[in-house]
Amino acid sequence: MKKCCLFLITLILTCSLSWVATSKVQAADADVIRIWFSQYEAENAALQTIADRYFSETGKEVEVIPRINVFNAVNDLVNNATLSERPDIVFMQAPDIGRLVASGYLESLTDKIDDELRSRFVDVAFSAFRLNGEIYGIGYSVDTSGLLYNKDIISEAELPKTWEEFFALAETKTVMDGDKISVHGTLLNSRDMWFTYPLIKTYGGYYYGTYPNGEYNPYDVGLDNEGMLDYIAQIKDAQNKGLVLTNKIHGESEIVSRFANNQVGMILYGLWYASTFQQKGINYGIASLPDSKDGTISRALTTVQGFVMNQFSLHKEDSWDFLKYMLEDENQQLLIEAGNEYERKLGTRNPASLAVIESDYIQSSAILSSLSELSSECEPFPNIPEGPIWYNYTTTVFQAIFFGDQSGECDAEIKLAELADKIRDDVRLMNYHADQIELPSWVIPAIIGGLLVLLIGFFLWKRAKNRNKPRYLRLPSWKETLIAWGLMTPLLILLLVFYVYPIIHNFYLSLTDYSGINLRDYGLIGFSNYKDVFVAGLDGLISMVIWTITFAVAVVTVSFVLGTLLSTLLQKAGMRIARIYRIVFILPWVIPTVITLLMWQGLLETENGLVNQILGVIGIPNIPWLSHPVVAKLSTILVMTWFSFPYFMVIASGLLQAIPKDYYDAAKVDGASSAYIFFSITLPLVFKALIPTLIMSFIMQFNQFGVYILTAGGPAADKIGAPGSTDLLITYVFNTAFNTNRYAVAATYSVLIFVFVALFAVVSMRITRKVAES
Amino acid sequence: MKKNKARLAKVIMHLFLICLLIVTITPFAYIIMIAFGKNIVGTSATIPKEFTLQNFQRLFTETKFIHWLGNSLIISLFTMVVATLFVSITVYVFSRLRFRGQGKLFQFILLIQIFPLTLSMVSIFRIFVTLGILNDLKGLIIVNSTISSAGLVLLAKGYFDTIPYEIDEAAMMDGATKFQTLVKVILPLAKPMLAVVAIQSFVIAYNEYAIASTVMTQGLDTMPLAVGLQSMITGQYGTNWSLYCAAALLGSVPMILLFYSLQKYFIGGLTEGSVKF
Repeated sequence: MKKCCLFLITLILTCSLSWVATSKVQAADADVIRIWFSQYEAENAALQTIADRYFSETGKEVEVIPRINVFNAVNDLVNNATLSERPDIVFMQAPDIGRLVASGYLESLTDKIDDELRSRFVDVAFSAFRLNGEIYGIGYSVDTSGLLYNKDIISEAELPKTWEEFFALAETKTVMDGDKISVHGTLLNSRDMWFTYPLIKTYGGYYYGTYPNGEYNPYDVGLDNEGMLDYIAQIKDAQNKGLVLTNKIHGESEIVSRFANNQVGMILYGLWYASTFQQKGINYGIASLPDSKDGTISRALTTVQGFVMNQFSLHKEDSWDFLKYMLEDENQQLLIEAGNEYERKLGTRNPASLAVIESDYIQSSAILSSLSELSSECEPFPNIPEGPIWYNYTTTVFQAIFFGDQSGECDAEIKLAELADKIRDDVRLMNYHADQIELPSWVIPAIIGGLLVLLIGFFLWKRAKNRNKPRYLRLPSWKETLIAWGLMTPLLILLLVFYVYPIIHNFYLSLTDYSGINLRDYGLIGFSNYKDVFVAGLDGLISMVIWTITFAVAVVTVSFVLGTLLSTLLQKAGMRIARIYRIVFILPWVIPTVITLLMWQGLLETENGLVNQILGVIGIPNIPWLSHPVVAKLSTILVMTWFSFPYFMVIASGLLQAIPKDYYDAAKVDGASSAYIFFSITLPLVFKALIPTLIMSFIMQFNQFGVYILTAGGPAADKIGAPGSTDLLITYVFNTAFNTNRYAVAATYSVLIFVFVALFAVVSMRITRKVAES
Repeated sequence: MKKNKARLAKVIMHLFLICLLIVTITPFAYIIMIAFGKNIVGTSATIPKEFTLQNFQRLFTETKFIHWLGNSLIISLFTMVVATLFVSITVYVFSRLRFRGQGKLFQFILLIQIFPLTLSMVSIFRIFVTLGILNDLKGLIIVNSTISSAGLVLLAKGYFDTIPYEIDEAAMMDGATKFQTLVKVILPLAKPMLAVVAIQSFVIAYNEYAIASTVMTQGLDTMPLAVGLQSMITGQYGTNWSLYCAAALLGSVPMILLFYSLQKYFIGGLTEGSVKF
């Protein structure tokens, strides 16, 4: 044992030493231009080639840093913008720039962009990055969509010119097979308005209006006007003709997979699944959207991706010089070809460079060239910080309108008015600004001094109290105390750093005006966030708290009992078979949670889910596992129990060995049944040993984020923005705060929840200890 | 009669186990099906018609799966060793020493964990910058060790408390020092719990996503598996379900192996040797 221990220690020491020695020296090379680029290897390699060529021409070094995906760019830039390894140029989506511009992270490129550069790119490459009269980036790829059609069903000549023709054509191309539709002329997703937005606009609906100077006005929401009602009537009509998804759980992926199986004539979509279509041999094409009634072209919502520059870059001139070099025609050609995986021509990158659009590479492919034509007729997603707000609630509202809400059918007009009001409210909340306060310099020392006095007083009081006690009840010796604290110092320091500091820092943030549009210049505003939180209150707070506690208690209790039961049973089941059982039972514990949660979502689907199909065989009618408010709560508890019982099974297996055999023997002599032994001996003993763990598990479940992946909090409440049936406290408040980018409010909520749960934990610790002692 | 009853009980027990087995294995089977399926777009799709090994092949050729797996293994193994060491020491202190502030400190360790760390990434990032452990596997090992130790101390204490103090006294009567008692007597008795601590700390480090994705920003090779996996599900152009499931499937193999090799420590049951009195 000693040898083993020594060996282990040497192993750790050697490993850590060699590791420290080999780990790269983080000397930030000040002269290197850093560019955060793509998630595609080929594209990064192409940029590296360009960088190498640039180096041989100018002698300036460029480092290309591959990224895991483009969505993290904003948060990572905020974190890294001023560090020594800061990026100079960042590849990101145009809609994401709003928050960065508001907090001053991006360099304006307006003066740098000249007419020559302008003339080499499509307009949207610049307009997508225009905000407050300045241009903050240059587009590289125009991620747009159009009318994707199956050439075996619809010929090019038949393509609709107007939306009326679109619906008429869709109707004629729909093929019935018995009473089932075998080919849909088209399939629309009525719940989501991203792809149907051009149609909405034809009818007069819009998300944000514009000021005369072309900037978005987020207070002008056009989702409750009469045009929207016409649009809804049109979709309801299409619904009756089988041109709309009938299952409210289905989304774009269902439409795409039907399209990939030759079951749909045309869809409003992009080329994101082109490789699947190619593999399946679908004969597809992409065309412009039908024109609107008054003859103007319809514009699909589009995400332009391009390059922005870090405001805090240490060599702006050099970076701009390299950016210009990258934007030269031949280099754009190289990048775009790599991005589309060369001859596979996937359509993942739709060039913004005019020279590339006209090149053989694009023009020789019918699909890529028609996709590139769409970039001149697209509408970039709004890039103001308020941009995504309108999109937060539309899915819930359209689901209610087309599929009914919890109280059944609902009135579209009322729902839409409610939606528009909610969006305007959120825009207002996001732009609300409390005044910063100036603290006199004596305040902080005074607070620290006060705390110290309190602490010392507390110690003196304790000491005085202790003196009166008889000797045997007095405190332990100083020597042992010193040894104990000494042994734990390393861990305690880590706990202070990684747990206590975040708590204090969060408390500080909750007293500031830190927000998504104020990421740098935030300062103290006092307790006004707390005041706001209490004044605003939460719709359905009480019922949500009750549900959260019920959920956490239920999951912990059921998985604890089930886990202990299983470990007991498996001890009896005979060695070999038990091993197999155990390996299977730990699967929920070891497979990444996200993937299994999504699998459960599919399994529990009401109409096509496997669970209901199996139950159907026995003759049990469909159960709305995740779509009925009460059943969904039950399913949530069951699924989360499924995740946590293996852990308890394993712990209990270990604990069972510590239970003295005599306990069982004595019980058996008395003729007790197995069930009795389990409930009166095993379970209480395991419970007693696990009290802290159980409380900890309760806390984990209380702050459980997995439920949100499973149900997204739904079924949604009738009132927009109110908590859904399975919304847990933490996910709900965070969503509300993050929807409007109010990070300080999120911090306020986390402090309040922390205090609440801590009180709960202390009380339950007292109670359980008493129960265990009795 | 009695024999029949026993047999009936056994049948019921196995029926129960098999039912649970099916419930446990179904989502897993689904993952396998999608991992081997061809041209899968969504998860609600029914059983795939064609099967292929292509997804696994793509994992090795088109993604940095091997790097991710390697990083995760390094992080998790180190975390496992460090956390087990920390937990053993701390729990020994709590369970065998009497010192001032004991109860309060234990409560403190429990209470600070109420604050969900994943929600204060701003603070965590600052700590990483200050300590100079950004973009460094070392940093992830340190933070994962802290998280695992904090959580598992609570678990291990309950177990250590079940080992009677008389055993220590007996050892010390034989002339063993406190350190010898810990290493030679207590830790061997606590093997089942140490095995659980080892597995759980491995699992925590292996699946940690939020912190890793925030502090590792320089390049794809440095990511742990959990972050790499997530990049497939939030892919820019729709989710690549087959690839994702294939990666999840292969990624869970180390944990299953670890569990399998450690299971003899916490299983074996009453017949083989429990704590002797």
